[in-house]
Amino acid sequence: MSVQEKLRSKPQWGSGFGQFACWVAAAVVSAVCLSIIGYLVFQGWHSLSWKFFTTDPSESMREGAGGGVRVPIVGTALLIVLAVLVMFPIAVGAATYLSEYMDESSWFTRVVRTGLEVLASVPSVVFGMFGLALFSMPIFTFLSSSGAEGASQAFGRSFLVAAIVMGVHVLPFVIKVSEESIRAVPVSYRRGAHALGITKWRSIRKVVLPAAAPGIVTAVILGMGLIAGDTAIVWLLLGGTTTMGASNWWAPSQFLQVLRGTGATLTTYIFFNSPAGDGNSPQLAYAAALVLVVLVLALNVIASIVGRRRKRQGS
Amino acid sequence: MSSSELAAAPGADRSLKRVDLASASGSRWSESVMPLLLASAAIFSGLVVTLVVFFVAYNAVPTFRAEGLSFITRGGWDTQINNAFTPSKTVFFGAEPLLIGTLLSTVGAVLVSLVLGTGCAIFLSELAPAAIRRPFESLVQLLAGIPSVVFGLVGLSIVVPFIQNYVVPANAANVVPEIPIEGASLLAAITVLSFMILPFFVTVAVDSLRAIPRSYVDGGLALGMTKWRTITRIQVPAAAPGLVAGLVLAAARATGEAIAVSMVAGAIAFSPNLNHGPLYMLLMPIRTIASSIVETGGDAMSIPSIASALFALATLLLLFSLILSLGARWAFAWFNKRMGVRQAGGVQT
Amino acid sequence: MSDTFASDSAESLGILETLVRPAVSRAGEREAESTSAPMVTVNGLGVAYGSKTALEGVSMLIPERRITAFIGPSGCGKSTALRCFNRMNDGISGFRISGGTVLLDGQDVYARGVNVTALRRAVGMVFQQPNPFPMSIYDNIALAVREHERGISRSTLDGIVEQALRQANLWDEVRDCLTQSALSLSGGQQQRLCIARALAVRPTVLMLDEPCASLDPISTGRIEELLLELSADYTIVIVTHNLAQAQRISDKVGFFLMGRLVEFGDALQVFEASARPETAEYVRGAFG
Repeated sequence: MSVQEKLRSKPQWGSGFGQFACWVAAAVVSAVCLSIIGYLVFQGWHSLSWKFFTTDPSESMREGAGGGVRVPIVGTALLIVLAVLVMFPIAVGAATYLSEYMDESSWFTRVVRTGLEVLASVPSVVFGMFGLALFSMPIFTFLSSSGAEGASQAFGRSFLVAAIVMGVHVLPFVIKVSEESIRAVPVSYRRGAHALGITKWRSIRKVVLPAAAPGIVTAVILGMGLIAGDTAIVWLLLGGTTTMGASNWWAPSQFLQVLRGTGATLTTYIFFNSPAGDGNSPQLAYAAALVLVVLVLALNVIASIVGRRRKRQGS
Repeated sequence: MSSSELAAAPGADRSLKRVDLASASGSRWSESVMPLLLASAAIFSGLVVTLVVFFVAYNAVPTFRAEGLSFITRGGWDTQINNAFTPSKTVFFGAEPLLIGTLLSTVGAVLVSLVLGTGCAIFLSELAPAAIRRPFESLVQLLAGIPSVVFGLVGLSIVVPFIQNYVVPANAANVVPEIPIEGASLLAAITVLSFMILPFFVTVAVDSLRAIPRSYVDGGLALGMTKWRTITRIQVPAAAPGLVAGLVLAAARATGEAIAVSMVAGAIAFSPNLNHGPLYMLLMPIRTIASSIVETGGDAMSIPSIASALFALATLLLLFSLILSLGARWAFAWFNKRMGVRQAGGVQT
Repeated sequence: MSDTFASDSAESLGILETLVRPAVSRAGEREAESTSAPMVTVNGLGVAYGSKTALEGVSMLIPERRITAFIGPSGCGKSTALRCFNRMNDGISGFRISGGTVLLDGQDVYARGVNVTALRRAVGMVFQQPNPFPMSIYDNIALAVREHERGISRSTLDGIVEQALRQANLWDEVRDCLTQSALSLSGGQQQRLCIARALAVRPTVLMLDEPCASLDPISTGRIEELLLELSADYTIVIVTHNLAQAQRISDKVGFFLMGRLVEFGDALQVFEASARPETAEYVRGAFG
């Protein structure tokens, strides 16, 4: 073909179609995501009120008896706080060790890392079953009440139990993100500390960890989002009740009993009240779902703000 | 200054110490104890999984000992659960329909996710202008953050009625009288699961595509290939191992999902079949391994045979998750190896 | 895999001969032939990236079926000029033509309605770093050919692949391992593969951007010899930092400095009797 012929030939068709298909895919996904949020707002918005947040769910079986969402919100908050308390020291400790002390080539390291990776792949339902198996054992009655089965078995379900299991569930994730943050601290910081004669642990405690703090905080906040959103563990280990373990649960003297008792979180509340559950207030399920999504979103946004601050500081 | 002047200066009473190597800035106690504490945290984290596996499997032993492999080849889960409440009957559980349900829903969701997700990944890494790219990335992350119960709720409110009103043929009750075809179905499960697992696949796929060196694309463009063809003929094939890893990850997420599936897939442990054609197969209700655990769990756990059966299900789920997780790890290693070979290629003689 | 140093050495004597032969005779060899028509006409070409000027007022006539070399210090616009000929600059953000034209065989390359992918078939490009696709040797060449000629039969394709590899002096070394990954070849072989790949789509012009920059002297010599052979059939434009290389193989030379084409003429004249003082200084090695 002469040059003139080559330049004037028609371009291939078909490329445009492929690109168009990709745009369509992106549009579909965007639409679905926005519709989910939009639908929750649409269905749940009018149920939101001050009363909604401050009343407990109604016990009555009357259709649309409603009530509020106070217990579930407190339940979610309680679960998050307890779970973080349980897993935070272990996560940070393990992450520090993995980053600062661990020898990457030893078999010991490989065992730990494989173990963490396998742990990360366990679905949350299985964690729920694990919790039931472990904490039904009689030695653990202090964590939950001993149930109708008597002294041979602990009831195995309570906030404490759920929090512990939840902590284990998010442990691999928090460790991974924390370890990355600790590793990201420049080597020059450590060398500078050592050159000043500061010993290893002290330099970690005083220099490395504070520098990695924003990243660790990000990890914990993201973990809180995971905890808030999980249903399977909570459903199995906390049940579908809508009341707390003690009638006047806000009183400090009842605190331990509340922890050892069952209750509700936002997720079980939604599950319970959805058309698939036994509850009879589907409208409230939407409202609670809206609250939950906003909560998780807010946590993610906070986490990314903290994460961005870390980037600005660290580089 | 002379030494006598130095001695007379203020603060001169601080004589120069000899270097004392014996003292350190931290107590020796913390230097030796802290690493041990940290190590124990690491050991615990690494080994707690064995605890999980042990307790779950241990409680599953009664079922497996009583039934062996027939646990996964036999059907009839629902009736068996009912029968188990009667103490006089010895029940053997059959989880086969649950396995089929898990398999079909996972495969379906992975396929949909592959198609939509590849399009989104190409869009994000190659086609989107910067102004659209960042918001869309946020949307995908948002999708990843939506809790499963919310997916289930929306699925129940929108997807299931939609299927019931627009997809289920009017005479369904006559065609398949033995089970209710009412929208809660395999199709609903696949739909909901696809969007739940999509962000996982897209994230990995985008990273894989971005890891392909620009020089390959430039080479293709210089040969007169259109941009789209460089994407489909050069970039995507090169990124394929990464895409596989993303798919495996997504599949793992789908198998483990209990709540959303239990809300939209119907409450019947039924093995979908092709007896009435592919459409009806999609419209049949199913149960998966994970959804059965949450549905049957709770009060039914007080009956030992049921409890053990549920632990058996959990053990199966654990096994699948393990296989998929190892598969993903292997796929990632394959991808990294390919990337490494590329960079090291062209060694001069 | 036949590419060891030993197998190279059989031909290396011929290459060394090429390397040491005085530059004068090479460049002057084709003077006797009638001056050929210009394949690429550049008229007052200006290029800018955003607010930064990369090229200004570049004018030259690149002759058909000769080797034209662009020389000059780094960052002075040689590669930018090259990429204007096949419009590879189009993808760089901020790029614009600030003036002038580029005519390929009389056709304005930047005219509206020009099929850019067809342009890139007509004007092939080989890059500084060999960049074979992560596929087999066969597929590297076949990929673009299949793109442009849909429904091509396997036997025709085999023929094209063989011809391209022969043209690039690579056939004998890889004929038995065409299905092996291209990345397992040595650097010199990969670069010849990239040349074969470019030749397979039958271009009119072949451009090479510092093709030997990452290669050892033996491989460099083989590619130079290859280019001399190819110049009988293709118009070749080469960007090079290696002045000796330019002297060895080129017919016409363009000297770029700070975005301007300072001098353009016969290689003999540019190197021995430069019209401009800057050219003379650069060629002497006063700066680089």
